[in-house]
Amino acid sequence: MRITAEVKRETRERILAAARKLFGTRGYAQTSTRDLALEASIATGTLFNYFPSKEALAMTLIEAGLIKGDEGYLERRRGGEDLGEDLFAHIAAGLRELESYRPFLGEVIETALSPFSRSSVTQKGEDVRVRHLDRVARILDKHGLRDALGFVSIHLYWTLYLGVLAFWSKDDSPAQADTLVVLDESLQLYVTSIERAEAETVDSKAVDSETM
Amino acid sequence: MDPKIAQLVAEMPADLRAPAPAAADTGLQEMLAALAHRPAPASRLLRMWCLGSLQAKVAAAYLVAWVRGGFADEERKTRLKSEAHLKAALQLLGSMGYLRGALMKAGQTLASYPQVAPREFVDTLQALHFEAPPMHYSLVREHLRNSLGGDPEELFARFDTTAFAAASLGQVHRARLKTGEEVAVKVQYPNMARTIRADFANARALFQPMRFLKDWANLMENCAEIERVFLLETDYRNELRNAEKVRALVADLDEIVVPRMFPDFSTEHVLTMELLAGQHPAQFMASSPDQSACDRHGTQIWRVYSRLLSAGRTFHADPNPGNYLCLPDGRLGLLDFGCVRECDESEWELMLLGMRAFAQGGNTLREAIQRSALLSDEELAEEGRMALLESVCEWGWLPLRADEPFDFGDPEYLEKGVRIMGDLLRHRYTRTCPIFTWMNRVDYGLRAILFQLKARVNVCRIGDEEWKRAGFEME
Repeated sequence: MRITAEVKRETRERILAAARKLFGTRGYAQTSTRDLALEASIATGTLFNYFPSKEALAMTLIEAGLIKGDEGYLERRRGGEDLGEDLFAHIAAGLRELESYRPFLGEVIETALSPFSRSSVTQKGEDVRVRHLDRVARILDKHGLRDALGFVSIHLYWTLYLGVLAFWSKDDSPAQADTLVVLDESLQLYVTSIERAEAETVDSKAVDSETM
Repeated sequence: MDPKIAQLVAEMPADLRAPAPAAADTGLQEMLAALAHRPAPASRLLRMWCLGSLQAKVAAAYLVAWVRGGFADEERKTRLKSEAHLKAALQLLGSMGYLRGALMKAGQTLASYPQVAPREFVDTLQALHFEAPPMHYSLVREHLRNSLGGDPEELFARFDTTAFAAASLGQVHRARLKTGEEVAVKVQYPNMARTIRADFANARALFQPMRFLKDWANLMENCAEIERVFLLETDYRNELRNAEKVRALVADLDEIVVPRMFPDFSTEHVLTMELLAGQHPAQFMASSPDQSACDRHGTQIWRVYSRLLSAGRTFHADPNPGNYLCLPDGRLGLLDFGCVRECDESEWELMLLGMRAFAQGGNTLREAIQRSALLSDEELAEEGRMALLESVCEWGWLPLRADEPFDFGDPEYLEKGVRIMGDLLRHRYTRTCPIFTWMNRVDYGLRAILFQLKARVNVCRIGDEEWKRAGFEME
C-alpha cells in the first residue's frame, strides 16, 4: 500500500503530539519509544521510520520551538539594543517557546545537547546548535564583532547557554525570575570577555602595522 | 616617608595612587556605564567578597590621602581630602549600585544627612535616589510578561522602553493604558527578596564578633525587624494596599495627592500608578523657589506625617526626598508606600506614653525612656546615659515646643541632632524597641528633607490640629 504524503505528515504530527504529552506527564526518561508508539497508535517499528531515536524526537520538538523563538526575536527587535541586550532578547525569545517543554528540558540537554556526549549527539541536536550559533554570529556581526566567534568564544557561549537552559529547567523561583538574572549575568560575562579579546586583537594589529 | 607606608602606597591600584578630579569625573561616568544592566548578584559568597573589597577600596583611598596629605601644604591637603572623599564615594557607589538591596537603602539613608557625610559623598550618593543603574528593556519585557501575563506592547497603549526614574528596589517606566490614563509602571529588579535576605545574612555574619555583648539579642531583634519590613517592601501588592490606606487617611487634605493605583496592572513585582508630574525636593530647590513655596511644601510633609501617625497609627518608615514630588500647582505628591510601618497595640501605647512625656517631662519622661530604650533600673540610674537619652528627646521635640514656624533650614539644628546621635553610637546606647529604630529614622529623615527644603514649619500647630482631630487632647 502506498502511503501518501498527507498520511505521513499526520502520523508525524501524531508522534510529536504523543511526545509532548508523555514527556510532559511521565517525564522524558520514563517514556520509552514503545510508550510513544502506543500513544500515537502506531507500531514501534513505524516510529523509527519517522524519528531515529527518542533524542531525535525530543530535539525535533525543541528545534521547532527555537525556530519560532527566533522569529519572535526578529519581530520584537527594536534596533537600538546593545550587544548584551540583543543576545538576551534572542535567548529569552527561545525560552518563551520552550516553556511547555521545561519539565523535561534538563533530561534532553543531558543526553542530546551535552558537551560531554559528542558521540551520541543526534543530528537534530547538531542542527539546533548550528542554527543557534548562526544567529549569534549574525548578532555579533551586527555589533561590529564579525571575527569574535572563534572556537574558544563558541565554546564559552555554548557552555553558558546550556548552563542557562539547565538552570531554567530546574528554576523554582516565582515566574522563573532567577533565570532572568542568571541569563543577564551570563551574557554580561560573555560580552565582557569577547569585547576585551576584540580590543586586544585591534591593539596587537596596530602594533604589528607600526613595526612593519 | 615611612618605607613601609611608601611600599603600601606603591602597591595601591593605579587609580587610587594618582587621584585627580578630572579622572574622577570620568571614573563616575565609566562606573555608571559599567553598572548599567547588571542585576543584583544574590550569591552570599559573592556579596561577602564585594563587601570586603569595598571596605578595602575605601580604606585605601583614605590611606593614600592621609599619606600624601602629610607632605602637602594646606590648600593641597584640602584638595587631596576632597579627592579621597570623591574616590571613596565612587567606590561606595560602585559597590552599592551592584549590590543594590539593603545596602542601597543604607546609601540612600546616608545621603539624606548632608551634615553627616562629606559633601562629595553626599553629592555622589544623592545619585542613588534617582539614578540607580537600569535594567535593559528586554529584561524588563520578560519580567513584565512573567508578572502580568503579556508583553508591555500588548498590555499598554504605549510603554517607554527607557526608565525615567529608579527606586532602591526597582525602576519606573512611563506608559499609557489602553483606557487613556498616563501611568508610571514600577518594575522590581528580579531576585530582590533573595538579595535582601543575603544582605541581612551578611550583616549578621559581620556582627558576630559582638555576640557576647549584652545588647546582642536586641541587635538581632532589630535586624530581624528591619529585614521583615524590607521584605514586605518587595511585595508591591502590599505597597498598593498601603497607598489606599494613606489615600483614605488624607482624603480631606486637598493639597496632598496620592496617585491612583491600577490593581489590574499590578502584581507582587509590578506596580502601576497614575503618573504625577512634578519636581523632587533637590530639583525644586534648584529652581530657586521663594521661601513661602518652601514653607508650604515643608508644612505639607509634616501634615502628612502627623495625619498618618495620629489617625492611622502609621508612619512612612523610609523618608527620603525621592518619595515626595513638588507639583507645579503647589500641591505635594506622595510616591512611595512600600515601607509603611503600622504600630501594634503595645507600640501605640508606648507612643502615647512618649506624647505624655513630651508634655509632662519628669518621671513620665524617665518612664518613657526606660521602656523605649529597654533600660534596667540600674541603667536608669546612670546619669550620663539618661542625660544623653533626654537630650535626644529634647532635640526631637524642639520644633514642637516653638509655637511659631520652626526654621528647619538652620544647619545648627541638624548638626546638633547628628552630634547627639554620634554620642549615642560612641557610648553604644543603641538598645531600643524595634518601633523606635524606625521612629529615629523618621525623625532624622524628615528633618533632613525639611533641611534640604529650608522650610519653616509650625509643627506645633499642625501637631495640635491633627492630634485633636484624631480625638487626643494634648495635656
